[in-house]
Amino acid sequence: MTRWRRLAAAALAVALGVAAAGPMLAKAPRKKSKTKTPAAADFDVKLPVLGTSLQEYPAGSGKAVADVACLQCHSASMALQQRLTEKQWTNAVEKMMRWGAAVPADKKAELIAYLVANFGPDNDRFEAPVTRPVGK
Amino acid sequence: MASSAFTRRGFLAAAGGALLLPSAALAAVAESVPKDKRRMLQVNGYALDAETPLDALTTYITPNDLFFVRHHWNPMYPDLRRWALTVDGEVSAPRELTLADLKKLPRAEATCVLQCAGNGRGLYRPPVAGVQWKAGAVGNARWTGVRVKDVLERVGVKSTAKHLHTFGSDKPPEKVPPFQRSLEIEKALADGILAWEMNGQPLPALHGAPLRLIVPGWAGDHWMKWLVRLSPQPEAQTGFYMDTAYRYPKTPGEPGAPVAPENTQPVTELFVKSSITDAPSAAKVGAAVTIRGFALSGAPDIAKVEVSEDGGTSWRDAALDPRHEPYAWRLWSFRWEPRAAGRATLLVRATDSRGSVQPKEAVWNPSGYLHNAWPSAEIEVAA
Repeated sequence: MTRWRRLAAAALAVALGVAAAGPMLAKAPRKKSKTKTPAAADFDVKLPVLGTSLQEYPAGSGKAVADVACLQCHSASMALQQRLTEKQWTNAVEKMMRWGAAVPADKKAELIAYLVANFGPDNDRFEAPVTRPVGK
Repeated sequence: MASSAFTRRGFLAAAGGALLLPSAALAAVAESVPKDKRRMLQVNGYALDAETPLDALTTYITPNDLFFVRHHWNPMYPDLRRWALTVDGEVSAPRELTLADLKKLPRAEATCVLQCAGNGRGLYRPPVAGVQWKAGAVGNARWTGVRVKDVLERVGVKSTAKHLHTFGSDKPPEKVPPFQRSLEIEKALADGILAWEMNGQPLPALHGAPLRLIVPGWAGDHWMKWLVRLSPQPEAQTGFYMDTAYRYPKTPGEPGAPVAPENTQPVTELFVKSSITDAPSAAKVGAAVTIRGFALSGAPDIAKVEVSEDGGTSWRDAALDPRHEPYAWRLWSFRWEPRAAGRATLLVRATDSRGSVQPKEAVWNPSGYLHNAWPSAEIEVAA
């Protein structure tokens, strides 16, 4: 887990007022929340708490690059839901590299090919995780 | 849906309008969201983005815990013990205001729609990059705080101030540009509210605690969360989130084609739009069914909502909920009696108080903003 992702988990734990609700937060210290959480009857308690369920990149050449560079700042869902052409993915990757994504120069083509192959214009695989509401 | 979730209040209120035809009578309006609909669709785990399924957007006030969530990155929430709002720039008396200072000013309240500029982006073809919102990055809430006007007058805003620059506490990761924005000061002075309450509760952290900007009628990119600084300035803010993002073509172009920056303008007012929140998937000839939804606009009110069962050739009025505050959404319902077996498609369009009519197709734009095509309901009608 990178520093940024640990920060994300800690921020979410505070924001959501939940204690160790998912794998990401398993090591987070338990905190008593002063904010009132919704009554158990208000939602299906089997649903994951918003922000605690993370999707993963599919296997394939390029996943290792995506796991390092893209997950620095956002979860895999952001890419999983896209339906972009090679030109659009190239633009997106170059923008993210300008913004600090750690894509080695010799891995850029591999990453773009991976994104196009998995999340091209015909991509219809993405399903947003259904989560429990929070933050009353 | 459980009938206990409804009251007859809305129906009785509408029935009080004697001119309504029976088919245009307002159906019962939900006052709360049933437990089995209380969920969110998490479109991004971090930074956290989540939309509300349309079938949970059935109440006039969207509950805080079901209100869509949008972050550009993982936020850095202000330290509430030390928080103060800095007001500087083109003002005669720059100062820092605590929440207690703000609460001494006259209380202001507005019930209005907050909609992400990109709501519906996922529906554009050809697809565009960005969070692929469907139709649920929108909600209607009661915001309580103080008028921007009252704060700026207190610090002596000068006539040289033309744009209100707004800053939140969040900081981007790596080399991502900061989310710094501005809006025309006329709009901020006319309608802007600095809110610390959402639906009668302290503003949740996810929605900008302790203070966020409310810009009734305008897209969510103007509604700065976790506010720490306001700065009236002669010129508009610059940077990625002003000059590149949140811009819309001045004139429609070819879908999929790039648009030159000089041919774009900032996204401001919401476009007139209706959404369907409740429709049956099956019906029987002769047995009336009800479809429901909401309609919104950057104009202060919705004038009418209409339904077509013939592909948009002819239209019939839906019934409007009597509640209509400026820039709030308007709930509507339509009682439809199927006359023939087969697959029926009902189309919906809204018209706002300025006469703008929701278009059949949304204007494709490179960033996928302000999608507002007619929504449809497919109903299988049995003989």
